[in-house]
Amino acid sequence: MLKKRLIFTLLLQDGIFQLSRNFSLQAVGDIRWLWKHFAFHAIARSVDELVLLDVGRGSRASRDFARHVAAVAGGCFMPIAAGGGIRSRDDAFALLGAGADKLVVNTPLFTSPGLVEELAATFGSQCLVGSIDYRRGPAGTNVFYGNGAVSAGMPVEKAVRLAEGLGVGEIYLTSIDKDGTGQGYDFEVLRAVAGISSIPVIASGGVGDFDHFVAGMSLPNVNGAATANIFHFVGDGLREARDHLLAHGIELARWEAEFPAAPPRS
Amino acid sequence: MVTVVDFRMGNIRSVINACEYLGMPARASGDPEVVANSGMLVLPGVGSFRAAMRNLKGLGLAEALAEAVQVRRRPLLGICLGMQLLAEEGTEDGLTPGLGWVPGRVERFRFEDPGVKVPHVGFNTVRVVRPGALFAGLPEQMDFYFVHSYRLVCREEETVTGWADYHGRFVASVQRGNIAGTQFHPEKSQSNGLLVLRNFFASGGPDA
Repeated sequence: MLKKRLIFTLLLQDGIFQLSRNFSLQAVGDIRWLWKHFAFHAIARSVDELVLLDVGRGSRASRDFARHVAAVAGGCFMPIAAGGGIRSRDDAFALLGAGADKLVVNTPLFTSPGLVEELAATFGSQCLVGSIDYRRGPAGTNVFYGNGAVSAGMPVEKAVRLAEGLGVGEIYLTSIDKDGTGQGYDFEVLRAVAGISSIPVIASGGVGDFDHFVAGMSLPNVNGAATANIFHFVGDGLREARDHLLAHGIELARWEAEFPAAPPRS
Repeated sequence: MVTVVDFRMGNIRSVINACEYLGMPARASGDPEVVANSGMLVLPGVGSFRAAMRNLKGLGLAEALAEAVQVRRRPLLGICLGMQLLAEEGTEDGLTPGLGWVPGRVERFRFEDPGVKVPHVGFNTVRVVRPGALFAGLPEQMDFYFVHSYRLVCREEETVTGWADYHGRFVASVQRGNIAGTQFHPEKSQSNGLLVLRNFFASGGPDA
């Protein structure tokens, strides 16, 4: 049977990895630092999928991001979704050529729906993730794009239907309010979205401990649970999270703990 | 040295990365002479069966592969669409002849329940029924990453080495002599995939 997914998200700005809290960014380090100081290969070997997002606030050079994707992808042996700043088919080709298997689009859902449709037609829906960010408001939820800066003027349910209609294959749903807080996913909204979406949902924003993953993944139609919180899951943290999820009856893939030893570099 | 056949349709880089990680020198090539003379081959592939066969034939690679695989009997591993191309024919956009080295045809997943999503995407469990070159020394059940809308329907039971289940069983891996194939992506299946690739390289013999 098809398995659910434990996902790690890496946020990048100008080649530097970021920690995020309510979408405010704090620089952590570059890729060398990541592999060396966060035992990133332990994280990479413990997840079903990696999401790489360019969250740069200035104008993004997509070629540079593609290079960074290639640098990460080179040492990873699982599916990779990459996005942030995709504004053309060329941007998409660059990311796929760099080693990404899927594309992630956020702002284009609201500002360039034609592009989203074109990407779905060119690469297939299974290759396209619709990323939706939202905040809670007095009257419900409000969706934002442009790194959470611009209001889309609609609640999550409407944004999900919009994204489905444009041909994305899955929804990556992030609570801006919960992001980086470690308080757990916004379970109420997650459940509501999972209930109305006809495509799989990936939960994002708020994970602090293993039980948050379990809660999110126990919902039907929530196929993936993501975290970008690198500090919480350094070293063996994500491998332990996997074991915890499996012990709680969540169907995750299993693979051999021992990776073939890479031969020494000449 | 393993040659990853480049016919302009496939995630070549990930396959090369996996080969190099395992210490297997690898090169991508779309040159028929290089392919025909290769000691060991991987045929990747993502996309349409029809377009793939058109490219393989147009680039002289179908012939080059036949030389390497059928005449010189060098080991070949087809991955995803690459495995499907080994079949006698594909049914996407009408009938297209495949390389014809594995008896069977490639058909789209078809389900009565409209709620079942196609393509089949994600990690799923493979039940190994015959280890062969790919699964030697490995467990009988292993999870691998799949992403495909079409599946091989194989006419010859003995050729199937592994089955998976997606609302019904489908062929996950095949082997026929020096020719092997996986519907899943070993380069995207963490340690399990690397172990399968390592087995394939080990089966290559001294000339590989």
